[in-house]
This record gives sequence, structure tokens and C-alpha cells, in this order.
Amino acid sequence: MDGEDEFAVFTSNLIKKLGNFIAVNNLNLKVKRGEIYGLLGPNGAGKTTTIKLLCNLTKPNGGKGHLLGKKFSDNTIASNIGYMPQETALYDGLTVYQNILFFGEVYGLSSKKIRNRSDELLKFINLEKWRDELVENLSGGMKHRLSLACTLIHEPKLLFLDEPTVGVDPELKMSFWNYFYKLKSMNTTILITTHYMEEAHHCDRVGFMKDGGLITEGSPTELLHQTNTDSLEDAFIKFSLGR
Amino acid sequence: MNFKRAFAVTKRVFKNVKNDKRTLGLMLFAPILVMLVFGVAFSGDISDVNVIIVNNDQGLETPNGTISLSKDIISNLNTTVMTMRYMDNEKSAITLVENGEEYAVIIFPKNFTTNAYSGFNNSQKSSNTYITLKGDDTIPNIKNTIQGDIISGITTTMEDKGVKSSVSLLDEPIYGKDAKFIDFFVPGVMAFAAFLLTTLLTLLTFVSEKTSGTLERLLSTPISESEIVTGYAIAFGIIGTIQAGFLLTIAILIFDIMVIGNVLLAFLVVALLAIVSQALGILLSSLAKKESQAIQFIPFIILPTFLLSGIFWPIQAIPSWIRPFSYLIPPTYAVNAARNVFLKGWGLDKIWPDVMILIIFAAIFLILAVLYLKKRTD
Ligand SMILES: Nc1ncnc2c1ncn2[C@@H]1O[C@H](COP(=O)(O)OP(=O)(O)OP(=O)(O)O)[C@@H](O)[C@H]1O
Ligand SMILES: [Mg+2]
Repeated sequence: MDGEDEFAVFTSNLIKKLGNFIAVNNLNLKVKRGEIYGLLGPNGAGKTTTIKLLCNLTKPNGGKGHLLGKKFSDNTIASNIGYMPQETALYDGLTVYQNILFFGEVYGLSSKKIRNRSDELLKFINLEKWRDELVENLSGGMKHRLSLACTLIHEPKLLFLDEPTVGVDPELKMSFWNYFYKLKSMNTTILITTHYMEEAHHCDRVGFMKDGGLITEGSPTELLHQTNTDSLEDAFIKFSLGR
Repeated sequence: MNFKRAFAVTKRVFKNVKNDKRTLGLMLFAPILVMLVFGVAFSGDISDVNVIIVNNDQGLETPNGTISLSKDIISNLNTTVMTMRYMDNEKSAITLVENGEEYAVIIFPKNFTTNAYSGFNNSQKSSNTYITLKGDDTIPNIKNTIQGDIISGITTTMEDKGVKSSVSLLDEPIYGKDAKFIDFFVPGVMAFAAFLLTTLLTLLTFVSEKTSGTLERLLSTPISESEIVTGYAIAFGIIGTIQAGFLLTIAILIFDIMVIGNVLLAFLVVALLAIVSQALGILLSSLAKKESQAIQFIPFIILPTFLLSGIFWPIQAIPSWIRPFSYLIPPTYAVNAARNVFLKGWGLDKIWPDVMILIIFAAIFLILAVLYLKKRTD
């Protein structure tokens, strides 16, 4: 009706209260199919809470939302979604490969598929040598890379990446973005949160989030143009001060 | 329900345990240590218990002389266990027990021998073939030892004399004929270990699934809440059984414990308890936000189980007003069932009420665990 089908992510007046605090406040978020959408905002703006709502990990107090044309409480969409949590979310007591294997199995992939896919992903995250190392022995950045691999194992159509590049070195960050573009070219939709403004430039569109709601959205160039600034940082400040 | 996904969880738990040698060691050796400590501490069989014998029996005059079944029984009592002295006055004997100077009074009624023989003849139970034991109930192990010894005295005498009468000991409970404390103790410790370790392990594993974020990642995948719980249940059912098997092997090798019944049946009971416990662990994890909080639950898990589930002393020895609480905690039923299998050789046909109750506990706890996961508390 309102075009839920046309969008990969579509929320209307989504509300989430945490105790007395309103973490997400009447959020209307629309992410088109096949685009990379960057959610930007200060700490505590509600970015993580929004992603958790979309992944059905917490129940909203109001409003509704659709993913890929289905209600987000619909269990059948889970296999099309990839969620990379802000925290590393890996089993420290398992090896790198065992983690990938486990999530592959949970997504119901065949063992052959998992093997091929994990070879591919280990190469991409550059952890081939660490394949049989326990996760607890990895560095923070390595864990982050593995976390991304576990999110991608089942080739999801819609990706929620909560600060995927935190603690990742610049070289690898570039290869992450190249990979995201490759995914986009295969029609994957990506919703990404970040604090790095230079990264926001890589997105098709960005939304500025504050106090649980969107204050504005648009392509990076549009936003710069509207505020007459040359950095998204300044643009954000202008918008958040009400221009 | 997709069992492949559930098994993925099961396998994951096993890999985790395998990679974590410390947990593995703790799981296997902690209960053995408990058993050894208690086994050695308590296996010093009870001896030198002061008892008074009040023998009112006059014996039976026969052409071949006087026969006295009571005296025969007394002569068959174990003098190491009991230091016996005789008194005629029952009342003053009881006063001595009340004052704590003696542990128990064993009373043979008037006409004991006569009644025992006539009871055999007209096969009618006469109330006067009962030997009464009035003892200090506060130390059940001692009382049990005395009872056991009297029973074996009676049995030996009856067999010697060829009397098939209904002589018995008043004031039960009686368990474990010829059983040492360790025999009584091992089935209890098996159930206790399975309960404790499974509950704690699931509690800690689940809390760390929450704090590390893996639970949220898992819940964002197609796996259902019931598949997660099933995967855990299978893993911990197996772990509990392996652990019990390990414990039992050591118990047999070191303490040469008594196993009359079907060991597999006892394992089944322990596995069932492990499943109940893992669901309980998941439920308890809902009360803890982090590991350090979960650890605070430990005394609340250990103490009631330790005191109320009948591991060290029978529930019958627990004050009656507190006894209902014993029946509220699952290990009680597992301890009882395992013990009956081990020591009495009971089969499923006799222990089914305990098994049934464990299954009901499991069902309720599993459902609650699934509902808790479905609720998605923040
Ligand atoms: N249980 C809770 N009770 C009350 N407030 C909470 C609770 N959990 C989170 N919050 C608050 O909700 C707000 C939104 O948090 P959220 O994690 O969504 O922010 P974020 O935009 O992802 O921030 P960051 O950039 O730091 O990751 C925060 O201010 C946080 O303090
Ligand atoms: Mg966040």
C-alpha cells in the first residue's frame, strides 16, 4: 500500500522505549532495494536499537515495519537477512572455522556449500592462516573481520551492519568497502551504521539520526549541497542545530 | 522443528567444551573429588554406639530346654557397631537416651519367642513379634546402621533356626541392607553432580551468549527458540550421562559400591535430570545480566539441593514442615530413583512415578525456557 514492497526496509512510526528512555522515536526509515544506506548519528542516537528492532531481536512499543515486503516479525525472512552486531558476537571457545561452520549450519547450508563459502570468506577477511586458531586468541580487528564473515556466510539479500569497520585497519577497510560494492552490484541491500564521516561518502544515501528519529536524509552530495558545507560532519552539526 | 539446526547447537556446545580443557576437567573431576572426600570421610563405618537392650522375652520352654529367640538375635548383633548393655526398666533406659548418654534402646516384647513360633504356626501376624527400636533420630546415619545391624541379626537368626516368622523391626525407615554409606551416597552424588554442573554450565554458557551477543546473532538467523533449547538439551543430556558414567566407574573401582539394578536405567534418570537442569539454567540466565551476577546464584542452587534432595540423608529424616520443599526440587526425584535402581534393583515398573515427575519438570522447564527466549526481553 505505502510501497512496502518497493523498499528493502520500510518502517512507519516505529517506537522503542527502554525503561523511561525513548530510544527510537517515531522512526520512518525507507531503504531502497539494492542501495547502501548509511545511518549516522551520535552515541545513543538509537542506531543499534533500530537495527535490533528490524532484526526482530526486541519488540517495538509502537509502529510497524517491513523488510523485503514482509513484516519484520515474519520468521521466513530470517534466512535472507544478515546481521552483524556492534559487539563481536562470536564464540570465543571455538576456532575461526568452527564459528563460520556453526553459523553456516544454523542457516541450513550444506557442508559442501559451507566449505566453499568459508574458503572464499577467509580469503576476503584475510584470516586463512588463522583458520584453526581459537577466537579468544585473535586481535580485536581480526574478530571484527570474522564477525563480518559469519554475517555473510549465507549470502543474505539484506545486510544490517552495525559499525562493521570499527578497529579494522585502513587497508582492510578499503577491501571491506570494495566487497560491499560487489555485494551491491549483486543487488544486495546494505544498511550500515558508522561514526566515520569519510565512510559515509561511500553510501548511496545517508540518514542523520538523533534522539531516536531521523533529522534528515539524502545522498552525501545532496546533504553537502543543502548545508553549503564541504564535510558531512559540518552538515550533521548544521542539521542537528536546526540549520 | 529442524533437528539439523538443533544438532548444530549441540555440536557447538561440545566443541566449546572440548576446546576448553578447564571446564572439561571441572566437569569430570569436581564430582569425583566430592565423592572421594565424602566417601572417605563417611566410609569410616559407624562403631561403638552405646545401646541398651531391654529384653522382656521369657523364652519358650520345650522338652529340649528353653529356647530364646531374643537371646539368639542378640548374640548375632555386631559388637563392633554396638556396645551393648542390659537393663530391665524400659523407662529409665529411655531416660538415658533422652539425656544423650546412650543412642538407642532395643526392646524385645514379652512372649517374643512364643509369639514368633506361634506366628509361624498359625501364620498370623502377632503384634508382639516386633522388636522396637527407640533411638536418637538426630543422627540418621547412626540410627540406620543400628537398624541395619538388627535386621541382619534377625535374618541370620531366623535362617539358623529355620524359623520363617514375621519377626521384624518396628520404626522404619530401613534402607540399604548391608549397604555402606558410600553405597547410599554414590547415586545421590551422581544426580547431584549432574544437576549442579548442568545447571551452572548452562547458566554460565547462556549468560555469556547474552553478554557476547551471540544469542542475538543466533536469534537473527532462521533457528527457532525451540531448536536452540533442544540443541542445548541434547548436549547437556549427553554430558550429564557421560559425567555420571565416569563417576560411577570410579566409584566401582575405588569404593566397590553396590549396584544391584540396571545401570543404564540409572543413567537414563540422570540424563533426564540433566535436561531438566539445563532448562533451569536457561531460565536462571534470565535473571542475570552478566557472569558475575550469575555466580551469585550458585549458593541458591547448591544449598537447597544439598540439604533437601536426600543426597546425604533420606527425606524422611528432614523435618516434616520443610519436607514439601524437597518435593519441589527436581533432584529429589532423580536421587530417589537412582538410589532405588542401584540399591534395591528396582526397574522402570517401580521407579516410573519419579521418572514421570522428572519428565513433567523437564516439559515445564523446557517450555518456559522457549517462552523466555521468545519474549525477547531487553
Ligand atoms: N535497558 C536500557 N534502559 C534505558 N536506556 C537504555 C537501555 N539500553 C539502552 N539504552 C539507551 O538507549 C539509547 C540508544 O542506544 P543505541 O545503542 O541504540 O545507540 P547507538 O545509536 O547505537 O549508539 P552508539 O553509536 O554508541 O552505538 C542509549 O542512549 C542508551 O543509553
Ligand atoms: Mg550502536
